[in-house]
Amino acid sequence: MLAVQLLINGILLGGTYVLIAQSLNLIFGVMRVVNLAHGSFIVMAGLFTFWLSARTGLSPLIVLPIVFVVSFVVGALLQPVLIEPLMNQGRRAELLSLMVTFGLDYVLVQIALHVWGADYVSLPYLQSTWTFGAITLSKALVVVGLFAVGIVALLYFGLNYTSFGKALLAASQSPVGAACCGINVRRVRLFAFALGIALASSAGTLLIMILPMAAESADNLTILAFVIVALGGLGEYAGVTIAAFLLGLAQSLAGYFLGGDAANVLPFVILIAVMLLWPQGLRRAA
Amino acid sequence: MTLEGSPASSHVVDTPALTLENVSAGIGPLTILHDLSMVVPARKIVVVLGANGAGKTTLLRTIAGLLPPRSGSICLFGEPIHGRPAHLVTRAGIGHVPSGRELFPRLSVADHLELAGKVASPSRRTEIREQLLEMFPVLAERLRQPVGTMSGGQQQMVAIARALMTDPRVLLLDEPSTGLAPKVVLAVFETLPVLRAQGVSVVVAEQSLTLGLSHADEAFVLDHGRVVLSGAASELAQDHRVIDTYLGR
Ligand SMILES: Nc1ncnc2c1ncn2[C@@H]1O[C@H](COP(=O)(O)OP(=O)(O)OP(=O)(O)O)[C@@H](O)[C@H]1O
Ligand SMILES: [Mg+2]
Repeated sequence: MLAVQLLINGILLGGTYVLIAQSLNLIFGVMRVVNLAHGSFIVMAGLFTFWLSARTGLSPLIVLPIVFVVSFVVGALLQPVLIEPLMNQGRRAELLSLMVTFGLDYVLVQIALHVWGADYVSLPYLQSTWTFGAITLSKALVVVGLFAVGIVALLYFGLNYTSFGKALLAASQSPVGAACCGINVRRVRLFAFALGIALASSAGTLLIMILPMAAESADNLTILAFVIVALGGLGEYAGVTIAAFLLGLAQSLAGYFLGGDAANVLPFVILIAVMLLWPQGLRRAA
Repeated sequence: MTLEGSPASSHVVDTPALTLENVSAGIGPLTILHDLSMVVPARKIVVVLGANGAGKTTLLRTIAGLLPPRSGSICLFGEPIHGRPAHLVTRAGIGHVPSGRELFPRLSVADHLELAGKVASPSRRTEIREQLLEMFPVLAERLRQPVGTMSGGQQQMVAIARALMTDPRVLLLDEPSTGLAPKVVLAVFETLPVLRAQGVSVVVAEQSLTLGLSHADEAFVLDHGRVVLSGAASELAQDHRVIDTYLGR
C-alpha cells in the first residue's frame, strides 16, 4: 500500500513537472532559445497568486485563468522586443538569447524581491487529505497534479489536432519549410513564446499550493525544468513527458526513504550521472 | 497550377512569370548575387545552371522571399514581390522546393499536404491533392507515415507535392536531383512538362548540364552570382562556352 501511495504521489508530482518542463521545451522547440527566465516567471506567478489569494480570498484555481491570460499578454509583449530581433542573427542567436533571457531573469527576480520581499511563502489551500484504506493522499497535491496534467493534455491536443498547432510543430521542425507552406513563422514564434510563458506561469500558480516559494527559488526551478528537458531531449515532447514522470517518481521515493534533502538534490545528481554516462542524452542512449 | 484555358489566360500570355531586374543580394557583409537580371516566361521550364557556389540557391531563396534583395526588383506576373516576407511570397503564387528539402520529419505526408494546402482555395485544394496522389502513388500509400522515415526519393516527392499544394503559378526547384538514384531523378524531371502543361512556370536549379539542358526550354548559366549566358536550352546545349564557364576557362 505504501508503494501505491508513493507511486501516486510520484505521478502527481511528475504531472506538475511535465508542465514546468514542456513550457520550457515549447519555447526551445520553436525558437531554439533556452529561456533562462523560465523559473522567474513561475515564481512571479506563484508569489502573485499568494498575494492575490491572501488579499481577496480568491481560490488559486480562480486565479489560474487570470495568471494565464496576463502572462500570455506579457509574453506576447516581450517576444518582439527581446527574442524576435535575435532570430536573424544566425549562429550567434543561441549565445545572445542566453544573455538576453539571463538579463530578463535578473530583472524579474529583482521586481519580485521588491514587490513581495525575499520570504518563502506557501498558500494554505486544501490542506486536508483523502484516505482510501491504507492510502493517504494530500488533496492539494491531487488537485495540482490533475490540473497540471489537464493543461498539458490540452497543449498536446492543441499541438497535434489543430491546424495552428500543426503549423507550430512545422515551424519548429523547419522554419524555411513552414514559410514554403505560407505559414507566418514570425507569428508562430510570438504565439509560442507567449504560450510558453503562460504555461510556465500557470505552473507557478499551481506549485505555490504544494511548495513554499520565494524569489530566490527562480533559478532552482529553471534548473529543474532544464534537467528534465535535457533528460528527455531538447525539443522532444514525448521524451520530456517521460523524463518528468520518472523524476517525479524518483523524487517521491527518495523523499520517503532518504528524506527531503535527498529529493531536492536528486535532479542534479541525475543530470550529472546522465551527462557522464550518456553525454548525448537519454533518448539517443536508448 | 492554373487551370488551362481560363478566360484571363490569353490576356496574360505575354507577361513574364518572373522578371528580375538588377537584383543584388547577400548574407552579412558578403554580396552573392550581383546586379542579376533574368526573365522567366510564363508556362516555360527554365533551368538555372551553375557550378558549386555559383549562387543558384541564393537566387531561388531571394525570389522566394527567404533572403531580402539589397537592391533591384522582382516581379511575379508584373506584380512586385521583393521585400515581402517568404510566407506572403508563397501566398502570392510561388512554390519552392528548397535546397535540403526542409521537410518536417515528424509530420506525416498528409500533414505536409494539409499545411501547404491552406494557401490554395478550398475547391482547388481537393483537386490538386487528388492529382498529386495520382502523380505520386507512393505517397498515397504512405499518407500517415512520418516523412523523416522515408527514402530520399520519397522525400523529394513530398517536397514537390508540398510546393504544388500551394497551387503555385511559379515553381522553384533547387537541385531536385540531389541524393537521388538516376532513375528517380528522371522521374522527377519528367513531371516538369506535366506541370508546364497545367500552366505552371518552372525554375529549376541544377548542376548537371546534360540533365538541365535536356529538360528545359530556356537556360541561364550563373557564375559568381552573375548571369554569364542565357538562351534557348537546345542552343546552349551546342554552345561550347557553357562548358568553358563550368570549367572556369
Ligand atoms: N549562409 C551563408 N553564409 C556565407 N556564405 C554563404 C552562405 N550561403 C551561401 N554562401 C556563399 O554564397 C555563394 C553562393 O552559394 P549558393 O549556395 O547560392 O550556391 P549554389 O550555386 O546553390 O551552390 P551548390 O551547387 O553547392 O548548391 C557561395 O560562395 C557560398 O559559399
Ligand atoms: Mg545550392
